Amino acid sequence: MDAAHARQNQVERLRQEIRKLHAAPRRYLAALRTGIRLLDELLPAQGLPLGKVLELWGEAASGKTTLALRAMAGATQENRLGAYVDGPGELYPLAAAALGVELSRLLIVRPKAPGKLVWTAVQLARSGAFSCIALDLTHTGVRLSLAECKKLSEAASRGGCCLLVLTPPEAPGDGMIRLEVSAFGVENVRVEVQRSRQGGAGAQAIIPWDSLYPRDPPRFRYLHGVGSTGFSEDDPKFAERRPQRLKLSWPRDCGGIARSRPGRDVALPELGSSLGL
Amino acid sequence: MRLLYLHFERFPIQRQMIEAPTLAGKPIVFVQQIRGERKIFAASSAALTSGIRPGMTLSAGTALVGTLRHFTYCPETERAALMSLAEQLLLIAPAFQLSSPDGLWLDASAAGLCQGEEGLCRRALEICSSRGYRARAAVASEAFTARALARHGRKTAQVILPRNGARALEALPLAALEHIDGSAVAALRSLGLTTLGEVASLPPAALLARMGAAGLLVHRLCRGADDSVFVPTPLPEVLEESIELDWPAESHEPLLFALKTVLDRLCARLCGRRRAAIRLALTLKLDPTGQVQVWLVLARPSARAKILLELAKHRIADLTLPNPIAALTLTVAQSCDDPGSQLALGDVPEGDAGLEVVLSRLSSVLGEDALFAAELEPVHRPEAAYAAKSFRPPEAKKGILAEAEGCQVRITPQADEVLAQRPSRVLERPASLKVELDLEGDLRSARLLGKHRKVLAVSGPERVCGEWWAEVPYNRDYYRVFFDGFGPAWIFRDARDGQFYLQGMFD
Repeated sequence: MDAAHARQNQVERLRQEIRKLHAAPRRYLAALRTGIRLLDELLPAQGLPLGKVLELWGEAASGKTTLALRAMAGATQENRLGAYVDGPGELYPLAAAALGVELSRLLIVRPKAPGKLVWTAVQLARSGAFSCIALDLTHTGVRLSLAECKKLSEAASRGGCCLLVLTPPEAPGDGMIRLEVSAFGVENVRVEVQRSRQGGAGAQAIIPWDSLYPRDPPRFRYLHGVGSTGFSEDDPKFAERRPQRLKLSWPRDCGGIARSRPGRDVALPELGSSLGL
Repeated sequence: MRLLYLHFERFPIQRQMIEAPTLAGKPIVFVQQIRGERKIFAASSAALTSGIRPGMTLSAGTALVGTLRHFTYCPETERAALMSLAEQLLLIAPAFQLSSPDGLWLDASAAGLCQGEEGLCRRALEICSSRGYRARAAVASEAFTARALARHGRKTAQVILPRNGARALEALPLAALEHIDGSAVAALRSLGLTTLGEVASLPPAALLARMGAAGLLVHRLCRGADDSVFVPTPLPEVLEESIELDWPAESHEPLLFALKTVLDRLCARLCGRRRAAIRLALTLKLDPTGQVQVWLVLARPSARAKILLELAKHRIADLTLPNPIAALTLTVAQSCDDPGSQLALGDVPEGDAGLEVVLSRLSSVLGEDALFAAELEPVHRPEAAYAAKSFRPPEAKKGILAEAEGCQVRITPQADEVLAQRPSRVLERPASLKVELDLEGDLRSARLLGKHRKVLAVSGPERVCGEWWAEVPYNRDYYRVFFDGFGPAWIFRDARDGQFYLQGMFD
């Protein structure tokens, strides 16, 4: 009788655990870490917040696509799915693979009509099936309206994904966290938080290209008397223009969401050892 | 051979109630035309309670119940519904034989996979229940014994051991023999016999003398000896389901209602065959003439009615038709094996369904070629170094399986040295670049995005050449160039014409 009672209690306790797992809210609880410590430290969430839209705003060849792909790599390495809505059709999957993206988990969407770009991103975000979605609007001539920005925000919030919008300088978006990305010298990328309601506005970081492409960095030959920073060393403005690096306190990891979200993503205790596996 | 018989009491009524749940609890009947009269073939419980009986004329039934709704009995429709259910039961049995209009035999030889014949009965009833049908099951070694017990027995499920048929049948009424020979049953009744056991106790010679061969056959059946052979019903090669609407539909709602019925049947048939649909053709027949065909393309093969219905909803939402819709036909044009999927603790199937629905929706609207996953190709030419393939993300193994295989969160494998030098953006076609070179032949500046830009730093060259055997060989020297006011770009000098081209950007 006692054994049966104990078993019933155990089953009830497990039921309650399962209910807790199902009831755990999925929004605003975690961030997607890119694995680039300096970038992850920029925002208060210690990564790119899930359920939010982030705008990566910058010139051509500023490094915004690479940052988006690093976020994608963090998601796909944890067996999650990523989607890249490639408006200009310029994404080079070889670079994505080099940045750690698992290509079999990356959906690339290339709508022929620019008018379908935002719709596609909204559909993907709303589905909740993708952890990270990038919407590339560079060279497409598309400028997001306020209503479209709201739609994107609502979709990201509903799907609990991190939605990255890559915008050119002439077509910035509204109502989303904006990170300005620009080349800083020859070997660095500068990322500055221009707008964020969650705090952190004004923070900036200098990220070396080497840390984005970790293996075999290019060996540049410098011309016109510039140094590795891209500025002439005797330029008096150089010292003023160089931002301070942030303090490095976050432990280096390979990015992703795991272990940062209570509820569903907390690792379950190992069962294999008790089963003799 | 062991056989399982499933009997569906008043099958047309059950089917109608499932397809139109609003009729539940209401008096409805099925009528058929017999010698110019519309006679009631089957009646719902509410109609039976009101005194309506099969065999009555419709006029008599309507006189009894003013609100009686009637439908015309169509054997083909009932057979199609029964066939769909039977095909779904192939999940637990290797073959079936239809016994129209309200039953079917299943080959019970695979009962060992369902924890015995009791388990097989239970599983079969569960499948029927999942489709909304109430049934009774019986397993026996003879087709007649199984059928008679399922139709006239008192238990919902029973298993009769071999050579125990006579004892199991002895309490059943003579009505169990009606489908064999009605005149023989009438003759037995006139003799005062009421059960099969009484018939079995008669001397066979006496029955042969009085009733001829029919009497001998009846006697053998009542003793649990049946020679009839199980003949599996052949499966149709084309998976197709049709439905005719009661009246032409002018809005989406009745169309979706009919579509759900058709999809439920079609997906049940797919499930039974362990197949998943990739492409379906939905043909809408218009009233009075004309038809429209809509293609439903699935990015991931599926046999789930819910997903297909979502997709169909999306596709027909934007459809504008000149005439109302009178009938619809759904055909599986392409299918593949369905491996199924395993969920882990804490997962909900809606997550997977969400992925499949959104992929299907996108591929329907944007076209199949707009969605893809990239696969690296062993090709040196940069623009041909990857190929598009359909997006089939691998299933994430979770829980104990993942633990056992050690496939937890993985660390990024080191990128290949060549890959690490590739830009994140590559132009569809390399753009011609006007450059200035110094006396030593090094790059000094170039005209880019409408501006004259100085070269600040250069890395390279990296020579990429090949395909000398092809019509268009290539021989390029690639440079990673940092322009003033612009990020790093990937340019090359084509050895064929000596010109510089912009291939991509390290964005």
